[in-house]
Amino acid sequence: MSDLTLGLVGIPLVLVLIFLRIPIGVAMFGVGIAGTWLVTGSFNPVMGQFKNLTYSTFASYSLSVVPLFLLMGQFATLGGLSAGLFNAAAAWLGHKKGGVAMAAIGASAGFGAICGSSLATAATMGQVALPELKKYGYSGALATGTVAAGGTLGILIPPSIILVIFAVLTEQNIAKLFMGAFVPGILAAIGYVIVIAIYVRVRPDAGGVRERMPYGQRFRELAKTWPVLAIFTVVIGGIYAGIFTPTEAAAIGAAGTFIIALSARSLDRKAIIQACLATATSTGMIFLIVLGAAALNSFLALSQVPQVMAAWVGDQGFNPWLVMILVLIFYLVMGCVMDSLSMILLTVPIIYPMMMVLDFGLTPDEFGIWFGIIVLIVVEVGLITPPVGMNLFIIHSMSPGTRLSETYRGVLPFVASDIVRTAILVAFPPITLWLVWMLY
Amino acid sequence: MFRDESVLGRMTIGLARGLAVLGGVALMVIVAMVVASVVGRALIWLGLRPITGDYELVSVGMGFAVFAFMPWVHLERGHALVSLVTDSFGVRANGWLLVVSDLLMLALSSFLAWRLYYGMMDKFAYRETTLLLRFPLGWAYALGLVGAVALVLVAAYVFGRSISFAIAGEAEPKRAGAEI
Repeated sequence: MSDLTLGLVGIPLVLVLIFLRIPIGVAMFGVGIAGTWLVTGSFNPVMGQFKNLTYSTFASYSLSVVPLFLLMGQFATLGGLSAGLFNAAAAWLGHKKGGVAMAAIGASAGFGAICGSSLATAATMGQVALPELKKYGYSGALATGTVAAGGTLGILIPPSIILVIFAVLTEQNIAKLFMGAFVPGILAAIGYVIVIAIYVRVRPDAGGVRERMPYGQRFRELAKTWPVLAIFTVVIGGIYAGIFTPTEAAAIGAAGTFIIALSARSLDRKAIIQACLATATSTGMIFLIVLGAAALNSFLALSQVPQVMAAWVGDQGFNPWLVMILVLIFYLVMGCVMDSLSMILLTVPIIYPMMMVLDFGLTPDEFGIWFGIIVLIVVEVGLITPPVGMNLFIIHSMSPGTRLSETYRGVLPFVASDIVRTAILVAFPPITLWLVWMLY
Repeated sequence: MFRDESVLGRMTIGLARGLAVLGGVALMVIVAMVVASVVGRALIWLGLRPITGDYELVSVGMGFAVFAFMPWVHLERGHALVSLVTDSFGVRANGWLLVVSDLLMLALSSFLAWRLYYGMMDKFAYRETTLLLRFPLGWAYALGLVGAVALVLVAAYVFGRSISFAIAGEAEPKRAGAEI
């Protein structure tokens, strides 16, 4: 077999192993080292490579931002910031039709600004918002759908763990990617609020209203959320201004949320241990996939598959926009069965160079930001679509009175809003890029 | 023997859990060190200064922490996988699939630890150090090796555990897993 054939066989083989429930990182790793062995005709290159590759991956300075952001999210959860955010949002929106659900979206967006993970956002907002939504008579479908969809804001609004990985993988500027994600993140929140507004008009029995709050109290509730704003400003502002590296920003953010959790008196020994263990599981999961992807990619690079595929796509004269739509549909479908990070690490090394040769009228830098953010949105849809939407499961487990089928039904309008937003962002790249242009 | 309630099980859980918490503590130390260094850099005009070699310290600490997390993730079944197809397979088939995947994890972890050991010996032999602090890289690798060796031990236990469940024809109790 030629090297190219080996590479082309390798990818489906990884997928077969993954569908046989082999952990995704292990499947990529196994195919990667076996492939390198076959291509080079000797096991020595792999043996030499892994004397250092594991350590240099795990101890990489640029990836060290990932565990630190995870730790920051853990402390933010312990600090009870989600309750403050929800109270503030509800003070402003609660008296409107569907307002309590809108408040849950607003609070999720706020929490997303200090937490880079989707599931953590959904879980902590679920604890705060689900009882309130129930109290004001929201149907199980709308309540669980809202909180599950709101969770995806956690990863879209910067900081975002997946964007960090995407940036490292495609050698892009993390700060620019974060800025690019900002407007689409706000648009997502607005889209979800519109969904709720329509939902409660079509089904007036789906939710009630809170009494209107005087403005004085609204501002007092809003003022209480200042730590969130302060941390967000320091972390994202500091990265943007180049005052510190993303790793330093994440460490400062973690220290900030640690202090908040400490002053909320929720940091006993047990809570700290829990925060460590939760950070450990997410970090370990991520780094195994990253290591597997490193092994797989060095095999693919040896086999020339990415270069040949990119050249082939360039020669065919395809319509770039058609290719983009097909790629996004592929991500949407795969996202329904696979987690977002694995998807990105598995596919980006092949798909990204392929897309780079197509002309969308953008510079390579602009294209990278635009493409990365749209892919992130599309794979995140997988978190709230059956059959394996993790956000749906976690919210469902927190809401015993609601059947899973109701949750599925309740989240569908939010998925529709995601798809509409993706179409808009694809059609108009400047929406994503204008903030980057403004700031740089 | 290969059950979580047994002596071996509790020892393995204790090892993985203890290392994960130690890794978490290392992260917190990194946080404190970085904050101190950034403050020092910001207040240079007051006569303070950043910590020398702060990037290197982050790297060394992170290397220890990430390796130390690995045994716990595997024990808790935290690794990302796709169970869509296999959910329709039934308890027995899934039990043996798990045995296969745990064997692969045992092989992978042994390979990683074995290569890391030789990597460490190289670093010691060539007396490689970090750039600013002159910290011997061999010792940095050795810190990583702690977690890597623990992962082999845990992977051996988990492999035994899944065989014992597969033979009994029972499904393993569900664990929380991880996702971001």
